[in-house]
Amino acid sequence: MNTIAIKESSPRVDRLQLVAIFGLMLVGVAFVFSATMVHESAASAHLVKQLWFRQIVWYGIGGAGAVALCFVDYHTLTRWAGIAFWASIVLLVAVMFFGTTRGGAKRWFDLGVFSLQPSEFAKLAFVLALGNFLSRPAEELRLASNFWKALGMMAIPFVLIMKEPDLGSALVFIPTGFAMMLVAGVPRRYLFRLIAFFGILASLILVDVLFAPPDWQIKLEEYQRQRLLVYFGKDFAPPNATPEEKRKALQLQAEKSYQGQQALISVGSGGFWGRGWREGQQTALGFLPPGAAHTDFIFSVIAEEKGFVGSVMVITLYAVVLFTGLRIAGQARDRLGKVLAAGVVTLLFSHIFINIGMNIRLMPVTGIPLPLLSYGGSSVLASMIALGMLQNVHIYRKGY
Amino acid sequence: MLIFDQIRKNDAQLQLLAAMLCCGLLVLLVGLWWVQIVNANRYRASVETQSFRTVRIASVRGKILDRNGVALADNRPSYNVSLYLEELSNEFKKDYKNSRPRKVITTDQPFWKDWLGVSPVKTQYVRLTDAESTQVIRASRYRVVQNVANKVSSVLQTPITLNFTNFTRHYETARSMPYCVVSNLSSSHLARFEEQAGSSLGVDLDIQSKRIYPHSNIAAHVIGYVRSDDSSAVGEDAFFSYRTPDYRGFVGIEGGFDQKLRGRAGAKSVQVNNLGYRQTENIWEQAVPGINVVLTLDLEVQREAETALRKTDAIRRGAVVVMDVRTGDVLALASNPTFSPNQFAHGISQRDYDQIQELTAAKNRATAEQYQAGSIFKTIIALAALENGLDKNKLFRVDPNPRNGGKGAYILGNRIINDTAPPGDYDLERAIVRSSNSYFVQVGLQPNVFERVLELGRRLHLGERMDTNSLPLKQIASGHFPTAASSKNWQAGDKANICIGQGEMDVTPMQMAVMTSALANGGTVLKPRLVDRLESQEPTSIEPPLVFPRAQVRDRLGVSKRSLDILRDAMLQETESSEGTGKHVLGCGFRVCGKTGTAERGELRAEGQKKNTTWFASFAPYESPRYAVIVMVENGASGGGTCAPIAHDVYKALANFEARTQSITLTPSTR
Repeated sequence: MNTIAIKESSPRVDRLQLVAIFGLMLVGVAFVFSATMVHESAASAHLVKQLWFRQIVWYGIGGAGAVALCFVDYHTLTRWAGIAFWASIVLLVAVMFFGTTRGGAKRWFDLGVFSLQPSEFAKLAFVLALGNFLSRPAEELRLASNFWKALGMMAIPFVLIMKEPDLGSALVFIPTGFAMMLVAGVPRRYLFRLIAFFGILASLILVDVLFAPPDWQIKLEEYQRQRLLVYFGKDFAPPNATPEEKRKALQLQAEKSYQGQQALISVGSGGFWGRGWREGQQTALGFLPPGAAHTDFIFSVIAEEKGFVGSVMVITLYAVVLFTGLRIAGQARDRLGKVLAAGVVTLLFSHIFINIGMNIRLMPVTGIPLPLLSYGGSSVLASMIALGMLQNVHIYRKGY
Repeated sequence: MLIFDQIRKNDAQLQLLAAMLCCGLLVLLVGLWWVQIVNANRYRASVETQSFRTVRIASVRGKILDRNGVALADNRPSYNVSLYLEELSNEFKKDYKNSRPRKVITTDQPFWKDWLGVSPVKTQYVRLTDAESTQVIRASRYRVVQNVANKVSSVLQTPITLNFTNFTRHYETARSMPYCVVSNLSSSHLARFEEQAGSSLGVDLDIQSKRIYPHSNIAAHVIGYVRSDDSSAVGEDAFFSYRTPDYRGFVGIEGGFDQKLRGRAGAKSVQVNNLGYRQTENIWEQAVPGINVVLTLDLEVQREAETALRKTDAIRRGAVVVMDVRTGDVLALASNPTFSPNQFAHGISQRDYDQIQELTAAKNRATAEQYQAGSIFKTIIALAALENGLDKNKLFRVDPNPRNGGKGAYILGNRIINDTAPPGDYDLERAIVRSSNSYFVQVGLQPNVFERVLELGRRLHLGERMDTNSLPLKQIASGHFPTAASSKNWQAGDKANICIGQGEMDVTPMQMAVMTSALANGGTVLKPRLVDRLESQEPTSIEPPLVFPRAQVRDRLGVSKRSLDILRDAMLQETESSEGTGKHVLGCGFRVCGKTGTAERGELRAEGQKKNTTWFASFAPYESPRYAVIVMVENGASGGGTCAPIAHDVYKALANFEARTQSITLTPSTR
């Protein structure tokens, strides 16, 4: 029975993955509905304005994009990888000048009907471009110069997205790039150096932010410093602060830790079975910020309303998508396909881990969507296209 | 497993990646298990605390009724117009948006923007500091509330004044509770509001129970007073986020039965959203209304006693006690000067409060103030002497006063005890009628008589507090009376003072009422009975009322009927003979046995003033005594002149009372 899925006569697409994706879409629509249809005024709005409906539309557009993608062999696609990559870099630069500012960050182009978040597409372009780069002969991969070039491809979007600022999205590039290099067969010693470098850098920054006296601290963005302090439960106030400053710092801290705290309360109060669909109090009462409940904190809504059972279900669906993705990587016809599939899988996984992690205080709060579940055009489109690429690798595994 | 089998065929790198993803997902699962299963209760509690406010709901206070069921203390619904802030929250937002300061700026923009036709002139919000924006927000809210209040005001056709600080405080601390803009609507306002503003935005009526005293200051001292106080009673939940207005009784029945009258407060929980506005409400404990207290007082007798007391002078200081000598029922308990409990319940002005303090009007003179008994105590001396074998016809000679030949006097050593009665021969009856000091000092100083006086005083429980069950007023004085031990080393002079009701003894008018009742009813010392029963406010309640038993015997005098009869005859002469000092009581509808009294107020003599406490202690009718009436007036002219006329009016009211109650008891049989 287990082997049915991989028989020669098996369908060209990976069906199991499609089922899981479809399940995630259902969950997504249901809980975007639950998170947004809190007030009667929302229900009386025109259907087109209702977000659950828009989410369906986005799934449709994304699905169409993914299907369209599957008609072109990924080898053909990767010829455009360089252009796509540089185009995304241009967009990332442009957003710094023409983007709209929301909550202190410039991440979006306001296109009237919807706002485009170029970093979502930069991730895809990066996967495509790095995959293309790493598909060169194995001997070339051993060259240090190529390793540095690959690192450079990672660094450009990373720095630009950090500048927006969007730490969460930027961080995603590191594991994705790393996994692609690993799968491509870049020598271990380079990878160890990479890990060691980032590990040391990260711990230095942390130690510096958390423990160093103010004069010695490197200049992080204030909000980034605060997020790290919140995450590690450290006082905002410097040790020599006056009581008034301390009070202010405490208040600020309460405000800054509010979202994460409320998300944690939502998840925790779900218990084993949850309160039931549309019964979540944290959303209804607005403790989960109304702007974030259906986007970055959609998982809190699911966890509160469906409990541990719901959480496990969501994770299981993701696990199916991820491991079928790895299977696609394993069955790919060449290194390009394998690296592309591994990249997409790691990209998705990084989003899932960071997003769910921040809902249960495993990770600091960063604005990173949960693939397929979070409401948002850019995120849904990017996720669907990424999954389309996976299926593409699967479809063309035999070199038709 | 179907997926992993496929990966295993492949290279180590993919397997490593798969293992990492596995680890990552496992970490998430363990984290979720920790948060959602291990710590679920903690987070559930957090949801509760951040989204629920508890509110104490005051219960309807029990009434205080007279013996016929007439309400002396009642409740009236008070209608307030309140704003529900959660319904105004959108208005607040809108107003803030409009009132945020804006500025027009001209930017230097790059040339290509000019080409694109982007205008360099823009309107944008002025950046405000936190303090400034708080100020703007508060002003916006106040403006919205004021607008609504103005609408309400035009509907009611009455001006409404709001207070910015007051509103802001309410908003900051209790925004899930309605904010009252007009309190205590009159019925015409109520009608206008119901007609026109019923559906107006964010406005609604809410009802509070307000304490009122329909007869204003009648029986004020028995009723006592309440003040606004919403603190938790004993046995209630102590922690509430908010409380609805409630009262707490301080003295009088309101104080003594405060717990019973209050009932049990209810509680509701209000669910609030993240902005603190109300979402839903849920009453989880209904308020239990308080118990009614039915008194033994008769409103008409009480009213007449008070009217009589202040007939000649509105602020005359005095007290009247009317007691049923058979049951101990207190039919009237008056004290003057008086006050209106309404003032305390609804906020008293400083001027009124000062006046009450100056007159000591809040003091219940019938139970809480102690006085020298004076001549009315001679009844006890007479009783003691008769029991000791005094012959009522035995004559005692009273010598003329060396300083004033027209009056008698008793010379004790080098002290002259003045007398208001003339010199001459006195038997018991004449001594009572003329209230001869000399006679009673002579009789009282005979061997063993003083010991018997002490014994009678002990059995009357003079110098002791009455227990709070019979007088639950929280204003009770004990008085003083010598005991055998305390008077062991007394000289004849000290004893002589007691024989005329002065010196080392003080009594309250209430104690004298008990004493007089004992003389009238054949020697039974009763507990006064002020509260007839406690009953539920609900007429349909199946719970039987708690009835306080009648005729609770506290003690017996242990004297012979013969002695009491002799005394009673003598006291009748006090009011009926031509020489009697109590003759002003005549014509009241009863044959009254009485004794007048005038006691010097020693504490005032020292200040060079000569002021008297005047008394009239009496019971009636002579044939079969039913009522004891004690009248006490501070600084009166004389017992007979000042107090007996008051007693006269009270007896008339009692005669009416009898006529009324008889007609009531007769009605069923005639049917």
